[in-house]
Formats: sequence, C-alpha cells, structure tokens
Amino acid sequence: MIRKSVALAAASMLVFAAQAALAQDKPPPIWKQGQPEKLKDSKLAPNPGKMTETEAADIPLKKLKLPKGFKVEVWATGMVGGRAMAIGDSGKKIYMGTRGIGRVYEVTDEGDKRSVRVVADKLTQPSGVAFQGGSLYVMAIDKVLRFDGIENKPDVAPVDLTAAFKLPPEQHHNWKYLAFGPDKKLYVPFGAPCNICEPPKEYAQLRRYNPDGSDMEVIATGIRNTQGFDWNPKTGEIWFTDHGRDWLGDKGPEDELNRIDKPGNYYGYPYCHAKGVIDPDTAKGKKDACKGVTLPVITTGPHAAGMGVKFYTGEMFPKEYQGTMFIARKGSWNRSKKFGYDVINVRPSADGKSAKLKPFMTGFMDPKKNTFWGRPAYIAQMTDGSLLVSDEQLGAIYRISYSAPKK
Amino acid sequence: MLAALLISAAHGQAEDRLAVHLRSCAGCHGADGNSAVPGTPSIAAQPQIFLENYLVMTREGIRGTQLMQSLLKGMPDREIVALAKHFSALKAKPAREPVDKKLFQRGKSVAAANRCASCHLPDFRGREQMPRLAGQREEFLAEAMLAYRQNRRPGGDTIMAASLYGIAEQDFKALAHYFSRLK
Repeated sequence: MIRKSVALAAASMLVFAAQAALAQDKPPPIWKQGQPEKLKDSKLAPNPGKMTETEAADIPLKKLKLPKGFKVEVWATGMVGGRAMAIGDSGKKIYMGTRGIGRVYEVTDEGDKRSVRVVADKLTQPSGVAFQGGSLYVMAIDKVLRFDGIENKPDVAPVDLTAAFKLPPEQHHNWKYLAFGPDKKLYVPFGAPCNICEPPKEYAQLRRYNPDGSDMEVIATGIRNTQGFDWNPKTGEIWFTDHGRDWLGDKGPEDELNRIDKPGNYYGYPYCHAKGVIDPDTAKGKKDACKGVTLPVITTGPHAAGMGVKFYTGEMFPKEYQGTMFIARKGSWNRSKKFGYDVINVRPSADGKSAKLKPFMTGFMDPKKNTFWGRPAYIAQMTDGSLLVSDEQLGAIYRISYSAPKK
Repeated sequence: MLAALLISAAHGQAEDRLAVHLRSCAGCHGADGNSAVPGTPSIAAQPQIFLENYLVMTREGIRGTQLMQSLLKGMPDREIVALAKHFSALKAKPAREPVDKKLFQRGKSVAAANRCASCHLPDFRGREQMPRLAGQREEFLAEAMLAYRQNRRPGGDTIMAASLYGIAEQDFKALAHYFSRLK
C-alpha cells in the first residue's frame, strides 16, 4: 500500500521512493549506483566493443598523430578484443588477454609479418596476462592458469593455479591486469565490485603473490579499479592508474595516476577521489574524508579510462623520453563529450611527487562529431626500443618507431 | 579478367552460403525474423552489434543454446556480420495479442523505476550492443530475465544481471508483458 500513498506525491518523489524501497531490499544495480536524480534520463551507457575481426585495410591509420620523427604502423591484426600484452622471453611472442570474447592470443613476430593463434578460450574475461621464467600466466575473473614453456611447446596443457589464489566471487571490476614486479612477485588488483559502494574487504585493493599463489599480501587499499601499473626503473616504485567513479557529471572526479612509495598506503576509495573530491554518496558531510589518504601524483582527466602504464627504458626514442612513462587512455563513456582515446606521455619529477603530462598519440577520436574509432589500451616495449600499442576496439597492435627528422 | 571472375565466383559462393544460413534461421525465427515459436526470440530489427556479439559469443561456446552453438560452429566473422546486417534491417511485426492493462501499467512503472530506457531507449528499440525489447515475445523475455537472475546466462557482460538485481520475480512477468506489447 506504500505505492498508493506515494502516488499522491509529486512525480519526482515517486521515483525517489521507488528507489529507496528497492535499496532497502537489495543493493541497486551495480553499474548505476550513484546515478543521481538529475541524470535519471541520461542515455550514457558503456561503449560497445567490436567482436569481429578488423582487417588492416579498414584501420584509418592516417588519422593518428604523433610528435615529429615518430612513425606508426599496423603491426598485427585479428586479435578481437585484445588488450593487455605480455612479451615472452624470446621477445618474439606476445600474449594478449581479452574480456568478453574469452580468448588469449599468441602473436608471433615473423619479421616482415605476424601470425596469430588462440592459446586459450571459453574463459570468463581472461584479461590478465604476464610472463616470467618461461611461463605464461593467465588470470580470468574466476581462474588462474600457467602455461609452462609455451613459447617452444605450443600445445602445452596449462597448470590450474586457481585454488591457490583464492579469488573472491564478485565479477564487476574484477577482470585483471597482471604484472610481475622486480621482486619476481605477481601483482594482482581486485577492483570495487560497483561504481560507488562500501566495498567488501577483499576488494578495492592491490595484492601481490608468489608466482604459485602463496604468501598473499595486500600492498595498497582504497583503489577503485586499476587496470595498469609499472615500476619506475630508477626508484623501484609502482605507478598505477585508477579509474574515477561514474555519474557525477562531465567534470569527473578525474582518473588518478598514483605512486606507491611504501606498502600499506590507502588511496581514498570510496570516500575521497582525485585530488581531494569528497564523495557525495558515501562521505556526505564528512569534511575529513580525505584524511590519511595518499592523493594521486596527478589526475589524468574525467572518465578518461587510463589503462596501461609503461616506463620507457629503450634507446630508440629521443633522450627527453628517458625516464618518462606512457599511458594509454581508452576513453570515456560516462561523459556527454568524449574524452581520452589517446596515449599520453608523463614525466615524473625527480622526487616523484609531481609530474607533467602531454599528449603523445592522438586521432582515435573526432571531437567535433563526438565519435571514436579506436581505443588504445596497453603499451609494450620491444627489444629495439619501439613501442607497441594495443587497440581493444579493433583488435589490433600498432608499432611506434622513431628516426630523427632530416634537417 | 580471371581475377574478376574469381572474385565474382567467391561472391556467389558467399551469397549461397548466406541463403543456406537464412533458411536455417527461418526454421525457428521466422523468414522475416519475427518468431511464432514459443521460447524462440524474434530477431528482426535487433541492433546489428547486438546480433553480431550474440552470434560471436555463441560460436565461441560462451553463450547461447546447444542448438545455436552447433549451428554457428566455425562460422567466419564475415558470415556472422552478413546475418546480423540482414536481420537488423528487417521490420519487427509483433503478434497482436490482448493487453492486460493492469500488468502493462505495472511493467511500465517497474521499467521507469529501474531506468531500463537509459540503455534500451525510451521506445525500447535497443541500440548498439543492447537488444530491442519492444515487440519481443513475452515468454522469451520473462525467461531471459529469470535466467539472468539464476545465473544461467553466462558469457554476457555483468551489467544486465546487475541491472535486474533487486527486482521481484513477479515483476519480470509485468516487464515482459509491457515490452512485448510495445511496437
């Protein structure tokens, strides 16, 4: 009979009451949590991925812009949904994880061309790939597999390590990015299973494990959803991207680029975002919500979806790129004007407490038409110092090389 | 000249294959993509990307029924795209079935409270990766929602199952009735 009484109230009250009634029963839909009344008619929704192959000829490569002297080419195609890349010990094979299509690819560099095969399929969002000691590690939302000696044994059966890693059950934001640290340990993020909520204790954190899944340690908390990190080769510190929450409008809160200067840091989620934005849903009226929070070194744009981070250690690019990092921004969905869809270059200060950001690779998006054609997701460095950039939308890898312009 | 002949021969083959596929689809989904078979969805006027994604994931063995998986096994992307394009261009012709006014109104208000229109659009014609609901078969919609609830629909994104969270199961019937009676 609640419904009868609210029918007498104003229309806006009706929706509010219906939501409040829902909230009492069960949590509201995961990805719409925090969607305010004033955005109730918003038609923003996640961008659709492309699940069919795109040929090189159909990629508008000429639209891409880079600084002078840099060249981009289509290096490999046919890896539908391919995103994070792990390079094998030989430097000739690249392993790529995916989400929806459930596959892991192996791309083999054959000099003048590349061949592609599927090494695993039917997995639930196997986005995490990492390579160490001759073995490929694959992590799906609910599974961990190790392929020993896969570079020389293409049909090797995987070792199932799932039980050792004790993965929690929630799926949302729990597709993985994986990387081995200088300490040879495997670093694994566990995202908040919602847009904005009080996360259960196994989530919103970065952990590390021994490669066999033993000796788990939580090394940082308060992280909403990191999909990329790398170690500064000079200091050994981890730098990681973190996606800002949705449904607070076009301005943000902006994505973060964080640094872990010591284990145990708390990065603010779900109360404190970006450079001190207090969350209106979880920290309403709490002025000290950012107390004890390690704020980001810099913010990297509203809804930009900063993904892979790669410190440049090669010698092909000009000296000014030494010690800087590249970050791929996959681009926004929860924003009326699209933002990101590029690769940026970030130069940290000597003490790591500040950093400067500049665009590096642009042209995936048409700001006038508010459309995009590609979504740069991850970056890998080849032995010759060139960079590979994966495009999750078109299932392609682009190679960026440099030669000094003729004077 | 030879090249041109080869191209046209290859083109002809592709067309033949499409015709064979279309006959097979028509058996259950109707020649015009409007299903008269209980439990089998109408596929006319579904967004092309939605159809492509569904067909690819079914081919990959991570979605769909066993029958659909066996029909799609090994189908190349270009044939999947051709099928998706074909059916997305057809007109939805929902069967004229009586409207239960009370159930319809209930479905309408549940859809509004849960903001189904954000993704599926206010007329529920769907877009991109999000399917058309307007005029879909009622029993199919009700079963689909129940399957999401009971985690019997793996392979899709986590968003749809999450969006049904907190909706009472009897309201799935109201939603299904409402959407199925829209044009």
